[in-house]
Amino acid sequence: MTQPSDPPAKRQLRSDQVSGLMLAALALYVWWMNRAYPIGTLAEPGPGYVPLLLAIFMGVMGVLVALGGGKSEPLAAMEWTEAKRAFALLVACGVAAFALERLGYRITMAALLIFFLGVMERRKPMMVAAVGIGFALITYYLFATLLRVPLPVSPWGF
Amino acid sequence: MAALLASVCVAQAQEAFPTRAITLIVPFPPGGVAEITGRPTAMAIEKILKQPMALVNRPGAGGAVGNAAVANAKPDGYTLLMALSSISVIPAADELFNRKPAYSIDQFAPIALISADPTILVSHPSLPVRNLKELVSLARAKQGQMSFSSSGIYGALHMPMEMFLHHYKLKMRHVPTTGGGPALTTLLGGHVEMTTGGPAAITTHVKSGKLRAHVSWGAKRHENYPDVPTFKEQGADIEYYIWTGLMAPRGTPEPVMKVLRDATRRAVEDTDFKTAMARVNSPVNYMDAPEFAKYWDADAKRLAAVVKVVGKVDDKK
Amino acid sequence: MVETLNSLLLGFSVALQPQILMYAFIGCLIGTLVGMLPGVGPLAGISMLLPATFGLNPIIAIVLLSGVYYGAMYGGSTTSILIRLPGEAASVMTCVDGYAMTQQGRAGPALAIAAIGSFVAGTLGVLGLMLLAPTLATFALRFGPPEYTALLLMGLLVLAYMTGGSIPKTLAMAGFGLLLGMIGIDAMSGYTRFSFEVIELADGIGIVPVAVGLFGISEILMTASQQTLKLPKNPSMRELMPSRAELKQSIGPIARGSAVGFLIGIIPGSAHIISSFISYGIERRISKTPERFGHGAIEGVAGPESANNAAATGAFIPMMALGIPTSPVTAVMIAAIMVHGIAPGPMLIAQQPELFWGFVASMYVGNVVLLILNLPLVGLFVSLLRIPYAYLYPCILAFCILGCYSVSNSVVDVWIMLAMGGIGYTLRKFGFDLAPVALGLVLAPMLELSLRQSLAMSAGNYAIFIERPIAVTMLGVGLLMLLVSLKPLLFKSKQKDWRSTVGLDEPS
Repeated sequence: MTQPSDPPAKRQLRSDQVSGLMLAALALYVWWMNRAYPIGTLAEPGPGYVPLLLAIFMGVMGVLVALGGGKSEPLAAMEWTEAKRAFALLVACGVAAFALERLGYRITMAALLIFFLGVMERRKPMMVAAVGIGFALITYYLFATLLRVPLPVSPWGF
Repeated sequence: MAALLASVCVAQAQEAFPTRAITLIVPFPPGGVAEITGRPTAMAIEKILKQPMALVNRPGAGGAVGNAAVANAKPDGYTLLMALSSISVIPAADELFNRKPAYSIDQFAPIALISADPTILVSHPSLPVRNLKELVSLARAKQGQMSFSSSGIYGALHMPMEMFLHHYKLKMRHVPTTGGGPALTTLLGGHVEMTTGGPAAITTHVKSGKLRAHVSWGAKRHENYPDVPTFKEQGADIEYYIWTGLMAPRGTPEPVMKVLRDATRRAVEDTDFKTAMARVNSPVNYMDAPEFAKYWDADAKRLAAVVKVVGKVDDKK
Repeated sequence: MVETLNSLLLGFSVALQPQILMYAFIGCLIGTLVGMLPGVGPLAGISMLLPATFGLNPIIAIVLLSGVYYGAMYGGSTTSILIRLPGEAASVMTCVDGYAMTQQGRAGPALAIAAIGSFVAGTLGVLGLMLLAPTLATFALRFGPPEYTALLLMGLLVLAYMTGGSIPKTLAMAGFGLLLGMIGIDAMSGYTRFSFEVIELADGIGIVPVAVGLFGISEILMTASQQTLKLPKNPSMRELMPSRAELKQSIGPIARGSAVGFLIGIIPGSAHIISSFISYGIERRISKTPERFGHGAIEGVAGPESANNAAATGAFIPMMALGIPTSPVTAVMIAAIMVHGIAPGPMLIAQQPELFWGFVASMYVGNVVLLILNLPLVGLFVSLLRIPYAYLYPCILAFCILGCYSVSNSVVDVWIMLAMGGIGYTLRKFGFDLAPVALGLVLAPMLELSLRQSLAMSAGNYAIFIERPIAVTMLGVGLLMLLVSLKPLLFKSKQKDWRSTVGLDEPS
């Protein structure tokens, strides 16, 4: 959370300043969207009342985080070594989510696992295929057949 | 060749309906009227169609969320709605608010009416009234001070209250909740003075004396409540039913609709279904699609008129 | 008292029939497994099994379903502890210290204390149910919208004790969570808010995809460059069980967690989710060493786990004694006995003594079953972690997608989960704690609705919160807690150095 204090550098952007301002900006955006809903009165709050209060609250807190962030870790010093892989994982899952109802559960899940194990982890092809296909089929049997959760099926019927 | 194969496949797919599980969406939280009717219906249809019928609760905004989900679902017969009468109210309310409607009534194709029950006005026993007359005179003396709970704004339990209030020119505070169950809990705790409920939902509480039943919205007395008079008997021309009906998204192919209608017709004859419905005190009131469509049309017009009379709830007071 | 004992004997004579015993066991087993799957919580578990119970007799039906219910409440904690993946909302708090314990190689004790805590809380809960049901049920009904508002406000104030991080950061995260809870249709007016024209969002954002994303997915993203989890090699059976000192430390949290959870559980509504948050807040508040919380404090597992199981038991009180569905789970269970023509309610105990007492006795039995089912499994669960991480994390991700999809059969939930994973990852990089987001999301819709319901009841008069004794008491307690938590902020000059080096609230 708190970092060992670095020698104070001039005009260096701090991580808390960035995150605090980002939250404040989000609060502004919420406030802007919230104009569409009637605010109502204190005695009879409308649908926009509570969101407005919350947006103000989060905005103020964001500003406080930014103001108090003078001693936090400098933004430039943050390590993002895993960010690239993390991003790849998220994108792969996103593709899978997109494919889920188009290619069906079994194909999507097998492909996702084969991608993770084969491309990202470079495991042995036999293991990759066994885990990927096995996982997809076993979980499908468990959920769709035994628990009767309607999992998506591909246009080709499996 | 490929084209031929494809067309055979399509034909087979149509004949074979249903080839997989059907989802029956109940647009209310568990425990409400729609679910109590929906479960036995789904089980009976399941037996006939030999495919699972999964009941899914999609509550929110007096049923608008679940209704919209079905209205915009793929019209293939695999997503059906256990609709409550409030389905006709929500678009009318949307119109009143000048809102982008969540769905419109003509996005649905009725399959069958399953049950139609009048609601019954119940009050907390701490309220010193024994009948409708006393209730009305007390409410008139305390204009705007008594309150009632409902299943949600413009919901199935809100409309009859508004009909009643409008007819007797009464004003009360409205405490919307997220469904029939919570509305009842709020009344049982004495946090509001009254609410309405379907006969099935209120039976145990009326029998045990936790609630007092005063008047029914039906055209004639309810068979399980022979002592409870109707509004018509009391000289008020108001009538309201909570009906439950099966609906599909409009555009569902005719052969699929036929399968579903036939299955429903046979389902309501099913002995298990009948006993299940009898156990929860909910009489079956089956109507096939054409008749149901007419019934629904008349009901929707009546409710839309009520919505107009009620006006924007937010603007009042 | 003698009468109660006699009735209980009748109950045990029902519950110990081999057939019923078997169903209790099956229920607990299914529940534990279902609860371990991300996204599939108690509600989904019993909803799936409900149709299967229609053919059984009502006692078996209710024994089976309640087994699933508390099995799932327990199962959710297993994945929280092992892989920081809350199987259901109530185990969000368990993630924090439970997973920290796993990282220190103490997954075994964490799992064991969760099982023991759940057992004790469950048993105390049944005792309470048995002795106090009718009294408490009437009390529970006095919880109307104003009391609910007060309770939820109190829950919100617990935030101050929930995390060790900076207060503005914690509050900003709470605000973020509360705002997330604003998404969806407003139940009071029918307006659809912040839905971005996505129809599924009209229903609001569910806690499950958010919790799975914020905790589970973000953890996988954080460790994306790591090849293995740092784990102890082959822990012996001794290391799997909590030490004597740890057990001693856990007695207080388990007792308090049970009491708090039970009381919150009997209140109608979905507030039982917050019982684990409140228990965690209490434990951290009264601990002599609050700085250990968040870094593997066993009290942080024992308290919330006991609280959520006691709440699960407490929730049966209004259901059995009044026949009111106070939460989605009990509503499904009421439906399960109603289809047999049995109406739960005030007359149930008199009319169907063997059903009621059989059910009570089966809950004792169920708790024992859960304990003997889970303690030996601790070793098995821990060894799951020995699967090479390269194989483990893809499967976890796949399970997350599957679980979130199956909650409401909607890809939108999967998208929410992934988005929350990304957001959670970023926020953690910037040093924010995520538990307040989950609490905020759970509280926001309930709090807003009950506040506005109260105002509708009183025609806009805020005095309604002061005139009602339960509400005003809870608000008073909440206010007191707020003042105490503000103390370090107001007098922080002395502790400033200490606080900023350790990054923690001062112990009082």
